[in-house]
Amino acid sequence: MKMSILAFALRAVARRKARAFALGGGLVFAVALLAAVVFLTESLRAEAERAREAHSDIVVQKLVGGRPSLIRFDEASKLQDIPSVRAVTARVWGYIFLPSLQGNVTVVGTSLPASPLSVANGVLAEGRDIAQGKDAHEMIVGAELARFLGMRPGDELGLPTSNPEAHALKLVGTFRSSLDLYTADVILCDESDARALLALPSGEATDLAVTLSNPKETRVVARTITERLPGARVIERDLLARVHHLSYGRRAGFVLGAAIPAILALLVLAWDRASGLGPDERREIAVLKAIGWSTSEVLWAKLFESLLVGASATALGLLLGYAWIFWLGAPGLRPALVGWSVLYPRAPLTPAVDVAQLLAISLSVMGPFALLSIVPAWRAATTDPLETMRT
Amino acid sequence: MTSTHVAWLALALVLSPVIVLPPLAYDAHARRAAKLEEQPAIDAVARRLPTSDLALSGGARWLRSVSLEEPGAAFADGPASPDPDPAGAAMAPPVDVWAEPSMGYKTEGRGR
Repeated sequence: MKMSILAFALRAVARRKARAFALGGGLVFAVALLAAVVFLTESLRAEAERAREAHSDIVVQKLVGGRPSLIRFDEASKLQDIPSVRAVTARVWGYIFLPSLQGNVTVVGTSLPASPLSVANGVLAEGRDIAQGKDAHEMIVGAELARFLGMRPGDELGLPTSNPEAHALKLVGTFRSSLDLYTADVILCDESDARALLALPSGEATDLAVTLSNPKETRVVARTITERLPGARVIERDLLARVHHLSYGRRAGFVLGAAIPAILALLVLAWDRASGLGPDERREIAVLKAIGWSTSEVLWAKLFESLLVGASATALGLLLGYAWIFWLGAPGLRPALVGWSVLYPRAPLTPAVDVAQLLAISLSVMGPFALLSIVPAWRAATTDPLETMRT
Repeated sequence: MTSTHVAWLALALVLSPVIVLPPLAYDAHARRAAKLEEQPAIDAVARRLPTSDLALSGGARWLRSVSLEEPGAAFADGPASPDPDPAGAAMAPPVDVWAEPSMGYKTEGRGR
């Protein structure tokens, strides 16, 4: 019986094509936008999480006036004897504004011992790792930065710096473009070159990276570091996940906030649906009642009509949202969520959304839409059919 | 089209969100598997980088490495306050108004 009511509902939707397309189109747009924002946000968060596990367990920074400042090497010696601390590394890194780029690049100094980078282990697209030592003056840059500057291995680049002793760096390799999300703006060089370019005084570093033998003791070690270096900012790796959630979630919130007018338009359509049935639909319900349909059968028919439009639109919206982000590369939406930059990471995004989120998107749009159709249908189904047909 | 065919078509439309998910899940699975093969490379490069933050907005230091420089960057100036930095906007600020590099900077041309 339900199947025959379903067939009737589909024919009823086909009779009112224009209305079905208007409502369905609004729903498709809303679902596609919601899904695309969630897909993109979750994908970016997952990309950051992928790299998080490889990082040091704790980062220690010095604060001056509430702002990150340089930290002295000898501060590291205060941390090395803390139980569970395996290594304390003073890191040298920072930013340089490139006028030709009209943007910042991230200069990262490499200190020994460092994990090798090569074409063979999939990190480099071409070239080799930098040679360590004060006289090497070599660098590896992100694929996007190399492309923008038109550089190939063997070329040299002089970066703007206030230090006259800084050397021009020779490009010896480029990162693979699939790692663009991490390396698009990176210039990796020897620590001495980074120190010279960033004009860091000797004996000072940007921050300290602490590696633990037992990461489960991070909280205890972090507390001990705070006691030994009063005023230091101690950043635990596990807490970075929360930062990533906050920063990407906030961006998604801004985009969805900007989409409120469009979603309001959808609500107006839904209001039209909720505010009552048209004379044709009332007459149709009256005829159905007159030929023997029960009130529940009429309600099922109306519910099926809404489900047909809502479910089809949801399916199409999900498909469009997915295609928009992962097949087309999120044109239009990527700048809004990722932010503008001269160096855009071009690496394709990897889906990270789970079934629960897809269900939430589907139900949040389809549920209210289906339920809104019940009340006016129930009102029409409970009135006298003869009276309805006469009016 | 018979009533039976119409009924089955209607059922397929009602179930279409469930029908569309498996192909998307398959595509997502394939992309995740491909990404998994890259994990050793990601780990190797991540060990050399100062942070796991993504290279999304190189123009603003508090965005390039939000987790290290401004751990509370999401709400640096106040909960839900407007974003003072240029990221998260569909349109870039007018880059032509940026100043030329300072006279004191040493700049060298790129050689080949």
